[in-house]
Amino acid sequence: MARYAMVLDTRRCIGCHSCTVACKVHNDLPVDMIYNPVTTVGPVGVFPHVHMEFIPLLCMHCANPPCVECCPTTASQQREDGIVWVDENKCVGCKACVMACPYGARIPNHEKGVVQKCDFCKDRLVLGKEPYCVATCHQRARIFGDLDDESSEVYRLVNQENVVRLLPELGTEPYVFYIMD
Amino acid sequence: MSKNIDLTQEGIQVKRSCCFFCHQNCGVLAYVKDGRILEIEGDPNNPTNQGALCCRGNIALKHLDHPARVNYPLKRKGKRGSGEWERISWDQALDEIAAKLDQIRNEFGAEAVTTAGGTQRTDDWARRRFMNLYGSPNGFHNAHLCWIPTFMVETAIYGWCPFETDLTSSRCLVQWGHNPGASGMPEMRGINDLKQKGLKVIVIDPKFTETASKADLWLPLRPGSDLALALAWLNVIIWEGLYDAAFIENCCVGFNELAQHVKDYTPEWAAPLTWLDPELIREGARMYATNKPGNIQWGVAIDQSGTPAGAAMHARALLRAVTGNLDAPGSDLLTGPSKEFITDEEMEANEWLPEEQKAKQIGSDRYKITSWPGYGKIAQLCKDVWGKAPTAEWMCEAHPPSVYRAILTGEPYPVKALLVSATNPVNSYGESLQVLEALRKVDFLVTCEYWMTPSSMLSDYVLPIAGALERPTFHSVYGCSDFVIATQRAIQPMYERRTDFDFWRDLGIRLGQAEMWPWETLEEANYYRIYPLGYGVSSYDEFVEKVFYHFPEREYYKYGRIGFATPSRRVELVSSTLAELGYPSMPTYIGPAENENDDPDLAEKFPLVLTTGGGFMPFHHSEHFQIEELRFLRYEPYMDINPTTADKLGIKDGDWVWIETERGRIKQKANLTQGIHPRVIVTQRGWWYPEREACEPELGGCLESNTNVLTSVADKDCDPIGGSWANRGLLCRVYKVESSTITSGSNGKDGK
Amino acid sequence: MKPKEDIWGWMLAVDFFFAGMGGGMLVIIGVVEMFLGEGRTSLIANFIAPLFVALGALLLILELGRPFQAWRVFLNPKAILTIGAWCMLMAIGFGLIYATFGIKALPWSGWVVIRKLVAVFCVIFGLVVATYPGVLLGRHKSRPFWTGFGMVTLFLTSSLVTGSSAHLLCNLILPPAKLEISTILPYLAAGLLAFQLIFWILYMWMKKTGTTDREAQAIQSWINGDASIGFWGGFLFAGSLIPIVLLLIPSAISYLIGVILVLLAGLWMRINVIHAGKTRTWLPGEERYRGRLPLGDEAFLKAWLKD
Ligand SMILES: Nc1nc2c(c(=O)[nH]1)N[C@H]1C(S)=C(S)[C@@H](COP(=O)(O)OP(=O)(O)OC[C@H]3O[C@@H](n4cnc5c(=O)[nH]c(N)nc54)[C@H](O)[C@@H]3O)O[C@H]1N2
Ligand SMILES: Nc1nc2c(c(=O)[nH]1)N[C@H]1C(S)=C(S)[C@@H](COP(=O)(O)OP(=O)(O)OC[C@H]3O[C@@H](n4cnc5c(=O)[nH]c(N)nc54)[C@H](O)[C@@H]3O)O[C@H]1N2
Ligand code: SF4
Ligand code: SF4
Ligand code: SF4
Ligand code: SF4
Ligand code: SF4
Ligand SMILES: [Mo]
Repeated sequence: MARYAMVLDTRRCIGCHSCTVACKVHNDLPVDMIYNPVTTVGPVGVFPHVHMEFIPLLCMHCANPPCVECCPTTASQQREDGIVWVDENKCVGCKACVMACPYGARIPNHEKGVVQKCDFCKDRLVLGKEPYCVATCHQRARIFGDLDDESSEVYRLVNQENVVRLLPELGTEPYVFYIMD
Repeated sequence: MSKNIDLTQEGIQVKRSCCFFCHQNCGVLAYVKDGRILEIEGDPNNPTNQGALCCRGNIALKHLDHPARVNYPLKRKGKRGSGEWERISWDQALDEIAAKLDQIRNEFGAEAVTTAGGTQRTDDWARRRFMNLYGSPNGFHNAHLCWIPTFMVETAIYGWCPFETDLTSSRCLVQWGHNPGASGMPEMRGINDLKQKGLKVIVIDPKFTETASKADLWLPLRPGSDLALALAWLNVIIWEGLYDAAFIENCCVGFNELAQHVKDYTPEWAAPLTWLDPELIREGARMYATNKPGNIQWGVAIDQSGTPAGAAMHARALLRAVTGNLDAPGSDLLTGPSKEFITDEEMEANEWLPEEQKAKQIGSDRYKITSWPGYGKIAQLCKDVWGKAPTAEWMCEAHPPSVYRAILTGEPYPVKALLVSATNPVNSYGESLQVLEALRKVDFLVTCEYWMTPSSMLSDYVLPIAGALERPTFHSVYGCSDFVIATQRAIQPMYERRTDFDFWRDLGIRLGQAEMWPWETLEEANYYRIYPLGYGVSSYDEFVEKVFYHFPEREYYKYGRIGFATPSRRVELVSSTLAELGYPSMPTYIGPAENENDDPDLAEKFPLVLTTGGGFMPFHHSEHFQIEELRFLRYEPYMDINPTTADKLGIKDGDWVWIETERGRIKQKANLTQGIHPRVIVTQRGWWYPEREACEPELGGCLESNTNVLTSVADKDCDPIGGSWANRGLLCRVYKVESSTITSGSNGKDGK
Repeated sequence: MKPKEDIWGWMLAVDFFFAGMGGGMLVIIGVVEMFLGEGRTSLIANFIAPLFVALGALLLILELGRPFQAWRVFLNPKAILTIGAWCMLMAIGFGLIYATFGIKALPWSGWVVIRKLVAVFCVIFGLVVATYPGVLLGRHKSRPFWTGFGMVTLFLTSSLVTGSSAHLLCNLILPPAKLEISTILPYLAAGLLAFQLIFWILYMWMKKTGTTDREAQAIQSWINGDASIGFWGGFLFAGSLIPIVLLLIPSAISYLIGVILVLLAGLWMRINVIHAGKTRTWLPGEERYRGRLPLGDEAFLKAWLKD
């Protein structure tokens, strides 16, 4: 069984927002819905001694997802390969998961009355394609793959580079890893 | 355009098209069925983007059929700028425009008809061909701000402009006023790759940019002081003995003279001018000179610095020469024009423009290197050595601010018509208030556009133009590269759109140029151009589908075989061409267009240093503000200000502020950042508000936050060599917008 | 900070208010029945308690993005919301059944064993309904205002405070057959209020000095920021301290005023507690990013709507 994961190489990301737009456009999201913002940290320091980082975000596909546990309808679910997704037919839009997700990854869709989120582009994976946000990134700052596959790029990066997870203290165990300088 | 579309369904064709939302021309695969594009994605086989697409590339289908697009020829009904239009046929539009142009030529001479372009967006050889055959030398772009003077100065010195960096084996890359992290995504990927293999990157930029954040060394110089820095680098490299003695000995002339010339331009001399520590200046110069091979990437900042621009690009070019970083593996390459396919220049019919018409080119009396006097000379040298000349469109043009002034004053002669294609002059040219007045005043204004831009709004005719998915694209870097990447149209133009080529051709035919336009379609013309490559294809589309791109075998050190395209056939460290044109043969210090040393009174009134622009994502200049998906990410303009300065001025993050120069004032929101010197202000460029009314007096809010209200096109602020005007390194002041005035549509001159 | 990360709105807060109050009432009804016997709570109270819970449930449904699919919330037994939904349903059911025992004309009004049994269920489900919002909120590790066990106590207390006050109010309108606990009720309410007052101050102190900076920051606006006047002046002073005094004055008028203040304070508390949850633990750079996004009513979003 696969265990999907993403590595975000902040050494390469330039905060261009292309991934944000690609995701929105191809996933047919209303203009005000963003699955994968890219934030800017800095410039930190005092001129001219400063540094700056760009942090691409998305659902962390947590190993321990509070959003799934709290969902009263079972619309929120996790597949064996780790992908956390929402079955829109079952979702009633109670927003329990919105509140429960520590990463801001769940967004109510007011047109549909349901909550939606990044699903690692699971429909595209079936076709053997990478997620939209990964394919569109000129900088190749987003690397997607199967962490159970020792020959994969994500496996190599997670095991060889200095990776961190966001808010590790919450015990959610994200499967999105950040390479920081 | 979504995951909900089945791309494996029957009847889908995949077209190899491209994105033209900037001139990287990324490859796009378009999934087409029944003449409609269902989906696009980055073309993984395109050598430029390798499957990736930036923000703009991704919204191509939204752009293709956005409700605000102009889809039919429009003729003005009410008063100029009243926003009242009548839909007419292409035939009627072209007939009437041709009649008017004929009448103007008869009454005032062909030179009274001018045409404005922007950055490279379309097949402008066709525009040039039309103008040459019509008889007017007065085509122009804001090319003066964008690479063209650099191209010409560098070609004067060493016979071509090394815009192709051979990065693979480079050890040091200087990003001089260049921020590919926001302006050139594919290029930045290459840098990211090489950085991980040890490439050293130096960024020279007043602002801590995306690119600077990845650099090994950041030199935050005072805007507009690039010349002082380049001269100091020359001083360090020459007087510390870091130059390439063999290259200088074998390939250059005038080294001793240059050495003496830069002797006093020490880092200590440059420090107060550049606001950089002398040791930092030395560190940068040494890093570049000792990590060979190395590259200096062209960036647009110097082209836009006005007065010192020509001298600064001259000095920057000499840095490559003295370090021998020319046409060697890993350095900046002198590829020359393509000998294998038909170049843009060969399509332009320049030989058809009579000499006496060339002499009438507006501005060519002053700004010679980018107009017929300099271009003529340099093009001849290129023909002698390379066999072909660089493109005349772009490299040899009327001086835009002088044309707008001519419209307003009738000097040096009356200008009656302006044909605008692929530019939004009010937002991209300098001193917007003057440009706007010229557009309002000119007798006859025609605009070829996708949208109702401020200049469309003021036009007599607006013509709907087909975009990159609706036409073939022949990508060869302003017609000057030795390679070509060819892509095809995904679909025929929607609605009644046509290509720019169609417009110029059909207009030309109506004005008696029929036999000079043998190609009925752009594909036919492109086929004619690629035919000599000898791939044995029978159509342009077949070329795209089977061959796609052509890169000639790379030959290093070509100068060993043919010499440099200069009078001496060597790199002229003391330039005879510039001297002949009446310019200094070596770069001599000139202060920034507006500065505290030469004009302390002005600096007292305007104590901060302004630089206007720098590309930022997701917009392209004044474009894409209509695309909701993009606008959502940055829906308001922001200027950069250091928190210390902001604090003194009582400005908080997110406050609306006025930025004011001698020309006028605009408002943007304050972005407090430590990435900028406390005395420097950076404004975003391009801003207008297409959601506002598309008629007078609002004109889409085109002045409210438009940074070009602030820039200067006065002759004294223009580079005497290339004519570029001053966008960067100006003096300004900043103050808070009182809440009561926030929504008013200020025109920049009110309530000072 | 602006949207677009939607959060729970006021309807959920009002749901918690009514359901909590109803739950609190049911607990009192059940306990009184179990230990003292029938007829000691107002018939109005007996009916209105389950109706309050039902009103809460209705608001919960209206807050949903797809109200007509509301039945689906019963499907995940592991989710607190599901447990809450079931318990609300039970509370409404048992509450209503219990209330009907007060109508002497009905044949089952004399079935004592059943009545006692129903009362036990009223206590159980009333207690859960009164408590589960606190459990729900307290489990949010990334909402520093809520996180922790304190919320459970606060919600339970508030539910009992508002529940007992509501009983008092009902007694004023329609006194029960047997009056003995009517005299205790004000003291009960006042005592709970005193506990609530102390516990809230304790809660603030715990957060302030507590585990993480984020928690300290989260309560900042209550201690001396935007919400501080409402909290100190409104909730604690006018909504807790004053009613304690008023409830100790045995007069219908002072009871009435006291009860109204208590109910308003309970409502204020829930709305503001829910609202305070909007502050998530921000990821790096996130606050500025979201702060610069449009609110949704900007002209460019409407200018080119396709019809
Ligand atoms: N997103 C986006 N991409 C674009 C474009 C766009 O509009 N938007 N436009 C395209 C076009 S036409 C062009 S020409 C290219 C240009 O791309 P670049 O060459 O990268 O030019 P800019 O981004 O205009 O400016 C580069 C840098 O110059 C800095 N600068 C300002 N003043 C000075 C100065 O006095 N000296 C120095 N050394 N630096 C200074 C700015 O801070 C900025 O970071 O980008 C292309 N790509
Ligand atoms: N202050 C300041 N001013 C600047 C700059 C700066 O940094 N600071 N940068 C300068 C630079 S580098 C440049 S290149 C210029 C850019 O100046 P422009 O090229 O004028 O900039 P755009 O806003 O991209 O305008 C292009 C217009 O052409 C339309 N268009 C696009 N493609 C086509 C086409 O194929 N055919 C036709 N007919 N129309 C088309 C678009 O809809 C748009 O309205 O601005 C310059 N101005
Ligand atoms: S597309 Fe890539 S480089 Fe751009 S913001 Fe997203 S992750 Fe960063
Ligand atoms: S990031 Fe949020 S939405 Fe994604 S799995 Fe974790 S908790 Fe759920
Ligand atoms: S909003 Fe939908 S997915 Fe989220 S918890 Fe409620 S029912 Fe589940
Ligand atoms: S993986 Fe797919 S759904 Fe998730 S952020 Fe990327 S593009 Fe969007
Ligand atoms: S706009 Fe973006 S996708 Fe289009 S050519 Fe430029 S970099 Fe490529
Ligand atoms: Mo440009």
